[in-house]
Amino acid sequence: MTATTVIAAQPEQAPSRIRSVNRRILLGAWRMPSFRIGLFIFLGLLLLSAIYPELSSISATKMIVKDKFLPPLWLGDKWAWEHPLGTDQLGRDMLMRSLIGLRYSLLVGIVTVLLIFIIGCGLGLFAGFKGKWWDTIIMRITDAQLSIPMIILAITILGVSRPTVPTIVIVLALSGWPLYARVARSAAVAERGKEYVRGLRVLGAGDWRILLLFAAPNILPPIAFVAVLDVARMMIFEAILGFLGLGIQPPTPSFGSMIADSRKYLINAWWIATIPGIFLAVALTSINLVGSALEKSRNRIYGGL
Amino acid sequence: MLILEFLVKRIAQGLLIVFITSLLIFTLLRVVPGDPVRLIVGGMAPPDVVEKVANKMGLRDPIIVQYGRYMRGLLQADLGQSYLRPRSGMIATGGQYVDPTKSDMAPVTDLILERLPFTLQLGGMALLFALLISFPIGVAGGLHQHGWQNALAFAVQSLFVSIPNFWLAIVLILFLSVKLKLLPALGYQGFSYVLLPAIVLSVEIAPFIIRTLTTSLGEVMQSTFIDEARVRGLSRRRIVYSHALRNAAVPLVNLLGIQLSTLIGGVLVIEYIFDYPGLGNLTVVSVVGRDFPVIQGIAITTSAVFVFINIIVDLVAYMIDPRVEL
Repeated sequence: MTATTVIAAQPEQAPSRIRSVNRRILLGAWRMPSFRIGLFIFLGLLLLSAIYPELSSISATKMIVKDKFLPPLWLGDKWAWEHPLGTDQLGRDMLMRSLIGLRYSLLVGIVTVLLIFIIGCGLGLFAGFKGKWWDTIIMRITDAQLSIPMIILAITILGVSRPTVPTIVIVLALSGWPLYARVARSAAVAERGKEYVRGLRVLGAGDWRILLLFAAPNILPPIAFVAVLDVARMMIFEAILGFLGLGIQPPTPSFGSMIADSRKYLINAWWIATIPGIFLAVALTSINLVGSALEKSRNRIYGGL
Repeated sequence: MLILEFLVKRIAQGLLIVFITSLLIFTLLRVVPGDPVRLIVGGMAPPDVVEKVANKMGLRDPIIVQYGRYMRGLLQADLGQSYLRPRSGMIATGGQYVDPTKSDMAPVTDLILERLPFTLQLGGMALLFALLISFPIGVAGGLHQHGWQNALAFAVQSLFVSIPNFWLAIVLILFLSVKLKLLPALGYQGFSYVLLPAIVLSVEIAPFIIRTLTTSLGEVMQSTFIDEARVRGLSRRRIVYSHALRNAAVPLVNLLGIQLSTLIGGVLVIEYIFDYPGLGNLTVVSVVGRDFPVIQGIAITTSAVFVFINIIVDLVAYMIDPRVEL
């Protein structure tokens, strides 16, 4: 009698434990103060950039030359309430421009990482699961792609085609997928040898069925937690491209192009270069705090298993 | 014998990677819109002149044929000649017509060899600074996993990784170079011109080193052989420096191989900002000018460097810890 109850209880526990691994990672991260600080700063910036430009009547692109070079509040003698962070060389509001820049930066960063995640993990899982020729071909392409620095690829493509948000996302994704392919592949290879996969094979499940329904839910979440860090990395790349003049084109503000334009006024109007940089750095710090907390908690749980 | 076998295998793989890279960049350059001939002959030249020059340069042949020709040159260590840079060093701009088929254009090999030492110098200095910054922080953070040292390492790493390199470069130029006049910033007229770009680059690399060092040292310190060393009565200094660090160094060495492409990307932007006469600066100028042979040459050089350093990294990892599989 006792033997049957044990067997009956076993399958019930298994699915709840798989779900709870991810939940435990999130919970573990939430306990860290750095995660909460990062999350609150990030949500604050997100709300600010979503709401303020919609409510305010100030335009981010309209030039008002008489208001040019206004310093931020309480600095210098010409500051004005309607431009809390000052204005740039053409009288455009710095706060508004930074917030619009932040919107684009976040958009590019998040969409790119999603795309990288899908392409990289897809190819990696496929290579690791299929093995043999597929594995060799996909992994050698990955190696070649890794050995071309992303920035050379990006400026080669963006240098000629007019940079728009979709092309920037595609170029960044093109250069970011190989690392994910590697990680997903090694996880898939490890997973392939496990008992449950062999069991499913015996039951007659096809490759795709095993891969998508059973292996992917085990392999992908740990990678996804660390992908948060790459949002920040992609935002930096977007800014670098903008700085080289290959990002989102003016008059639409982006962090990179704002900082590049402001170099000429560095000595007289330091805030034009500094403020977008601070916005970007704060946004990146918040994302990195969240990401590294997730990573730490993940490592702790996987190390403890 | 094992090492020899490993070298042969890795060099063969490396050649394959360099080959794929060159094919990728070669095709990409010719598929993406943007005709170098238009830039060479100038915007005012009639279309038939453009076609004539393009045919003469072989740019209208099928890509495979062009690639075959390029490969034949490459086997003789000839990367071709720049489209834009004459031997004298002046840059030909659009409008002034310089016949690129003539032999007075600078060979790509010379252009690259001229600049490679500058870039290696910058990369080496940056790596040195990064190690100087991150070693004390990382080792302290790894040894005291629950103390303030670990929190400090975490904070420094989160902050450094969040600072965009080009922005830091501008701010440092403003403060250290313009306001305080401590370090020179633009161009290159001596060793001191390396320092500021190297500092900026080291801030970009340091967080990765700190992170790897704290986690791997933390793991090593928990292993049984460390406890055993304590039982054997070794001093703490001896345990940390000759037992723990040696084992923690393997992930660190591997990290260098992985982060190399980040480093190269960083070098490119930093050289452009500081107008430093290295390969990165040459890349930006060549891409803008559609100087195909130079771009291809640089891509091949970087991928070769990449392959070479990764082989070295694996060898060094093996030397440090013979348990590592080659």
